[in-house]
Amino acid sequence: MSEHIEITRIFDAPRELVYRAFTDPGQLAQWFGPVGCWVPRDSIEVDARVGGHLRFVMTAPDVRSPVDATFTEVVENELLAAEMEAEGVPGVAGPLRVHLRLEFHDEGNGKTRLELRQGPFAAGQLGPDTRTGWESSFTKLDMLL
Amino acid sequence: MADDQLSVIFGALADPTRRAILGRLADGEATVTELAAPFPISMPAISRHLKVLERAGLISRSRSGQHLSSTLRPGSLQEAAEWMERYRRFWDASFDRLEEHLRRSAPGRDEQ
Repeated sequence: MSEHIEITRIFDAPRELVYRAFTDPGQLAQWFGPVGCWVPRDSIEVDARVGGHLRFVMTAPDVRSPVDATFTEVVENELLAAEMEAEGVPGVAGPLRVHLRLEFHDEGNGKTRLELRQGPFAAGQLGPDTRTGWESSFTKLDMLL
Repeated sequence: MADDQLSVIFGALADPTRRAILGRLADGEATVTELAAPFPISMPAISRHLKVLERAGLISRSRSGQHLSSTLRPGSLQEAAEWMERYRRFWDASFDRLEEHLRRSAPGRDEQ
């Protein structure tokens, strides 16, 4: 039990390609979000350097959530770290702020090990009266997941 | 929420017996006897677990007659945990699509 999400995933592609899938707006639009959510290509901006922004709008039926992430660390093909701010998250009053870290490791054999860390998910952020709000919205999202 | 309070909560949740107790209390309040029933540990041990959970603010206890019963306090930590679970599933689903995207766009790769 932790206040951070940690996910490790191996991709069958060299890390330059995996990294580019995150930093190329055209590619990000093709995979980001679960099936049923999408990110409109024209909502995406990526400026992959420290202080630069990654912006997009997460869209789904009844959901429109603009995300603005400011890069705090960038090492090409190796590391992306950002402070993310998401608005319009179902059931959350005000913006949701978390730190996101993506490490791209060479796993050999043309594979990449991606390590993601996101958080902290502090209860104080969620605000009052969030339960009914997100419960109904996430019923819809759950069906997609 | 102060960091030290978070530590108290995470410490409370670190034990599988205590997590199981919380699971049982999600179905409704229970006495110490009722809670102890599924576990091969002593009642005093169960009581110690309940004290830890109470100190963490995850349950509240009240006395009715001779019985001390415990009730789940569905507090903000559960909401944070549920949030994290949803974000985790969001990423898992996104990464499934990323895998497919990488496979599709890789030049000249064999299908496996």
